[in-house]
Order: sequence, then structure tokens, then C-alpha cells
Amino acid sequence: MTKKEYDVLIVGSGHSGGMAAKILTSHGISCIMLNAGPEADMQRDRTQKPVYDLPYRGFGKPGRLTHVFQANEFNANQWVDETEVPYTYDPQGPYNWVRVRLLGGRSLFWSRQSFRLSDFEFNAAEIDGSGTSWPIRLADLAPFYSRVEEIFRVSGRKEGWPQFPDGNFIEPRYPADSQTLKKVTELCNARGFGVSKMRTSQGVGGLASSINLLLPDALATGKLEIVQNAIVREVSVDKSTGLVNGAHFVDRHSKRAMHVKAKVVVLAAGSLESTRLLLNSGLANSSGVMGHYLHDQIYGVNVTASVSEARDGKAAATPGLMGGQAFLPRFRNLNKSDKRNFIKGYCMMISSGGGASANMFAEYGEELQKKLDYYAGSCVSATIYGERVPRFENHVRINKSVTDAWGIPALHVEAHDSDNEHNQAKDAADTAEELFHAAGWDLISKTDKFYPPGYSIHEVGTCRMGDNPKTSVLNKFNQSHDIKNLFVVDGAAFVTCGWQNPTMTISALSMRASEYLAEQMKKGEV
Amino acid sequence: MKRRSFMTTLVAAPAAAPALFAQQAAPASPPAPPQQPLGAPGRGPGSAAQDIKLDVVSPDNVAEPEARFFTAAQFAALRKLSDLLMPPMRGNPGALDAAAPEFLDFLVGVSPADRQTLYRNGLDGLNTRARKQFAKNFADLDAAQCDAIIRPLLVPVPWTHEPPKDPLQHFMTAAHDDIRTATRNSREWNTSGGRRGGGQLFWNPVDPIYKG
Repeated sequence: MTKKEYDVLIVGSGHSGGMAAKILTSHGISCIMLNAGPEADMQRDRTQKPVYDLPYRGFGKPGRLTHVFQANEFNANQWVDETEVPYTYDPQGPYNWVRVRLLGGRSLFWSRQSFRLSDFEFNAAEIDGSGTSWPIRLADLAPFYSRVEEIFRVSGRKEGWPQFPDGNFIEPRYPADSQTLKKVTELCNARGFGVSKMRTSQGVGGLASSINLLLPDALATGKLEIVQNAIVREVSVDKSTGLVNGAHFVDRHSKRAMHVKAKVVVLAAGSLESTRLLLNSGLANSSGVMGHYLHDQIYGVNVTASVSEARDGKAAATPGLMGGQAFLPRFRNLNKSDKRNFIKGYCMMISSGGGASANMFAEYGEELQKKLDYYAGSCVSATIYGERVPRFENHVRINKSVTDAWGIPALHVEAHDSDNEHNQAKDAADTAEELFHAAGWDLISKTDKFYPPGYSIHEVGTCRMGDNPKTSVLNKFNQSHDIKNLFVVDGAAFVTCGWQNPTMTISALSMRASEYLAEQMKKGEV
Repeated sequence: MKRRSFMTTLVAAPAAAPALFAQQAAPASPPAPPQQPLGAPGRGPGSAAQDIKLDVVSPDNVAEPEARFFTAAQFAALRKLSDLLMPPMRGNPGALDAAAPEFLDFLVGVSPADRQTLYRNGLDGLNTRARKQFAKNFADLDAAQCDAIIRPLLVPVPWTHEPPKDPLQHFMTAAHDDIRTATRNSREWNTSGGRRGGGQLFWNPVDPIYKG
């Protein structure tokens, strides 16, 4: 019995796949979505448990999920099992590849920080004096950002700064700034640093995921079917036309091999999984850059100071002194007169009202506890997200000697940081220390260290877009230069990542690409 | 398969199930009623399988943990260190009350080799220094003597993913953190001083790969 041929096959169910499904089905286009993992049942699959009832008392099973620093024993089962889906890397260059294959993917668990990229990122080559710019600018994506922000219900405060583009915000609800935050703001403004507030997707019911914001609309059209536990092995090609015509996949439980037919294939499996699939399929890489320009953000740096007026229990007795958060969008390398030993920039988050942690001191026992009590509630701390430079040599390739549990060759990741990242982090730590010193606060701890590549869970690149088919994989509509009915709508398409959480940009690009695809299909061009 | 048939039988046709419970009596004897589930008073005969929920207890409530990984000298040093680093304070149980050393003996015992080596070498290192300075094992030192050994090994670690390069300082950093965590995550800690035990949402395995 010949099964039907769908209009579009979508691989992946996160924000990018969900958005593609929502837009394409709204145009009457029939879609089949394959997701590698199962659908989670939030009632059945989660149980309230005290930490002491866990087998490893909260430590987690040793050796499990060693690359997922965000994992703990409570959430260990939400992440991809690295023994089932392994990857390799140079031991000198560890990489943290953090994955979720449940239906909805990482959209189930993201932090909901929601920002637009600016033309400092889109036009990076001119701003940095090196590298490559996107083939689009903020003006091209702005209408789609606005629609995405409406769906996700993003709250934020408008500032009118070019490096921090304003969005289509719902009214924010920020508490009044504490005295310490007012001091931070005063000092930052004197230094030309803008101080704003976090921008967050409120979503619906506390969830801003593909499964509640995007897929229900698509399913309601009657034009979407979703298959869970479907692990795509290879995109298939009609040899007579060179066009893609579906995908081979295996059932996650039984490994039964199947093939689904579609007129168009949209990959939305997450940057590295989409690229892995294309590399394993041997497709769409006439440029030779597929797999290259892997990058993400540096997360780390920590500078903590204590406010003397709040120590020794006085914080609780002094309402309005401590508390709250300030958000500093990028303030470095915004103009050519700013001469630094690094390009690009970072954002800084400053939190007031926390305490010190035990690792900051050399004491123990009662002595340590006295110190922790003394500093409790009196601390102001700073941390950053910084933009890594996309480099050709940071790349992924197939490691044929390692396969996953379904026999599919694994990915090998090569990613190393350079002086630019370290200089950026040092600048951030020194800047925070200087701010806190100027405020009259006492430094307790300072580090300019940051996590390995991949930790941010914002890996992008490896199928970058561009106008030149010799130096890019996709055109400005996320369409393969080589195969016109093949699209990649997740973060693989990025040219630069910025310091910003990429979700709004991924969703906006997927929306734009899907609208373009729908139009092209109506015209018979695809 | 056999178990599923049994359960289906129990639910659908209670009269037939007792063939597994009843004594080998004359076939004409009436079947015995299903037994009352233990620990569920009030549940009458014929409770459906899906309604049965038996009361069970944690092994930590009834049994002593057994230390099996470290040698006697290493474990004694770990107990001494645990009591020093996390004594009872502020009305909270200390590491020994929370059986933290026993728990860490288990945890390190199932950890990758590098963690095991770190701990073994670290505990041996404490004993070596104690014998050199005071001609006694670490576990036999008094508080001041212990302080003389461990104080130089305790350093601030601003970035916990980059431990100290000195192996003993690395061990001390790791052990300090582990002892504090094992104590604060214990049943004793979380049910003392008015705490109610709390809890968080735990993700069960979602549709685990079928091994049938």
C-alpha cells in the first residue's frame, strides 16, 4: 500500500519546527513532523520527590550526563542519553552538547530570555572589521520578530538603543529598584553603559514552548500529523531530479526502518542534529562550509561584592536596600572610538540580595557558617553572556567509527576558544570589579573563567546563510543553495550569534522562511 | 506474558484467580476470596489492581548503610574529616548524624576512576601528613592537630569547574563540597528543625526504550 506524499516533511518539533508547522499549515500545506523522542506527559512523567529519596541523594548517577552541567538528579531523564546518542571531541577541547529529544525539544525547558539581534550582529563584518555579515538586516526580520513576540508574549522595557532593539512587548511588571540597583544604574550611566531590565517570554500558563504556543494551532488546521520516536537516518533524494523527496527513519523502540515521502523537506532538528543529518546524507554542501563556523556564547565570569550596610543580618531589617536585577545589554565596541583587545561584546546581569557561597572562602565548620551567615543577603554579583567569534576551524564532522544506538554515525565536534573570548571575559570581570569598588562595596570573589563551548545551549552556525553559494549553505530564506526544496530553519543558519538568547531569532527566521516557502509552493517554484 | 495474564485474570474474573491461592482441595470446593492487601486496611475484598497501593518504607529507616569501598583507615579519615567540616550546627544535624561518610563511600565507589583516585589519594594523604606531624592517623588527632593538617589545604575556589592544581587541595575542595551536599540533602537534615522534607519535581524516564 503506498502511503501518501506530504507537501512538507518537518524534522524536529522545537521552536523552529513548531513555527514551520504553524505557518505552513496555516497556508493549507500538509505537513508530516518526525520527532526523534517521545511526547512527555507532564502528569505521569513527573513526580514530587524529596531529595533524600533519590538513589544518589541529589548528586545524580556518577558518570551520567557529564557534559550537561545543567543536569541534576531531578531532571536527568529529560536530557538525551549520551550513551544512546554519543558524540566525540578532542580531549583538549571539550564540548558540551546539550540535547532534549522529547516532543517540543529544548523549547520545554529554555530560560525564556527573549531578545532581538541588532545590526551590530547582522552587520558584523562592518562593525568588527572582520568576519562575515548576515545576508539580511534587522529591518528584514523586524516584522517577523514582532509577530513572534506577540505569540510568545514577551515583556520588556523599551529603551531605544540600537544595540538592544525594542520589541512588540506586553506591559512589564518590574518591582521598584532597590538602593543598590539605583547605585549600579547611576555608576553605569556615568560610564555610558545602558541599564535595562530582562526581557522574557511570558508564554501561557508559565510555558513558552512549541507544544503550547505553536503545535496546537498547526494541529487544529487538520494539516499536521506528528510521529514521535522517529529517528531520521537520512534525507532521501530523487536521483533523476536531484531534489529531496522524503526521509528514511527508524522507530526508536524497534528500529524498524521506514520511509516517508514529501515534496519539501524542512530540517528543524537543532543546529548540530540538522547538520549531522545532512552530512550523513551527503547533501547540499557544494560550498564546503557545511559543518563549519560552529559557535555559541561564553557563559561565566562571576564577580561578587558585599554591601556593608546589609551584612550581619541587616539586609532583612533594611527594606529597599537590597534585591532585584539589572540588565546591561552590550556596551563594548559600539563605536569605532572604543578600542579594545577584543571584538564583539557581552551583556551583564547584576543581581542584588544574594549571599556568598562556601567555595568563596577557606574556612570550614562553624567558622565557615559564621561567614555565610554574615554575608547572607548582602551580596551583589555580576555574570555575563558574551559573543564567541565564528571561525571556520570550529566545526563538526561525521565520525564514522562511532554510531548511535540506531547505527547512525555520530558527530565529532572541534571547538576551541581564542584570545578574543578570554580578553572579553577579563574585560567583563575587571569592569564589574571597578563598578562595585566605585560603589563602595567589598569584593569577596572574582573570576574571569567561563564554561566550555556548547554550555550555553545556544550552538549555532554549521549551515550558515549567505548570498554567495561558495561561502554559505543556505540563502537568506534558509533555503539550500544546492537543493531548492530543502530548508534548514533552526540555529544552523546563523552567521553570528550575538550575546542574545537565539530563540526569538530562530523563531522569526523560521517564520520568515516558512512564509517564503509557502509562497514559492503556491507559485510552483518549489 | 504470564504475569500479565495473571493480572488480567485478577481484575476480570476474581472467581478464577484463587486457583493460584487455594489449597489443592476437591474441585467442588468454593474458591477462597482474594486476600486483603497488607497495609491497606479498609480495602475490601476484590479491590481492583489499579486501586492497590501498599505502604513501603525507605531502607534508610530500617537499615544501616555499609561502607565497602574505602579501606578502614581511609574511611576513618573520611569520618573524621566529615565531622570537622560539617559538625552539628544551629540545631541542624552534622555529617555523621546524616551518615554522609557512609553515603560518600557508596557514591565514590560507583564513580569514575578519577574521582575514586582523588578520594583515595586524598584520604591517604591526610593519614600520611598526620603520621608525619603527629605520629598518629588522621582519625586519632584532636581538633587542633586536625586543623593544622587541613587548614593549608582549604583554599577559596572562585570557579568551581577549575579545581586547585595541587592534588590535596583539589581533594579537599571536592570533599568539602560533597560532605556539605550529602549532609544537607539527607533525610535527617530535611526533616529536622521544623523542615517538612520538601521535594521537587522528579522526571521519570519518559517512554524508556523497550527491552522486551
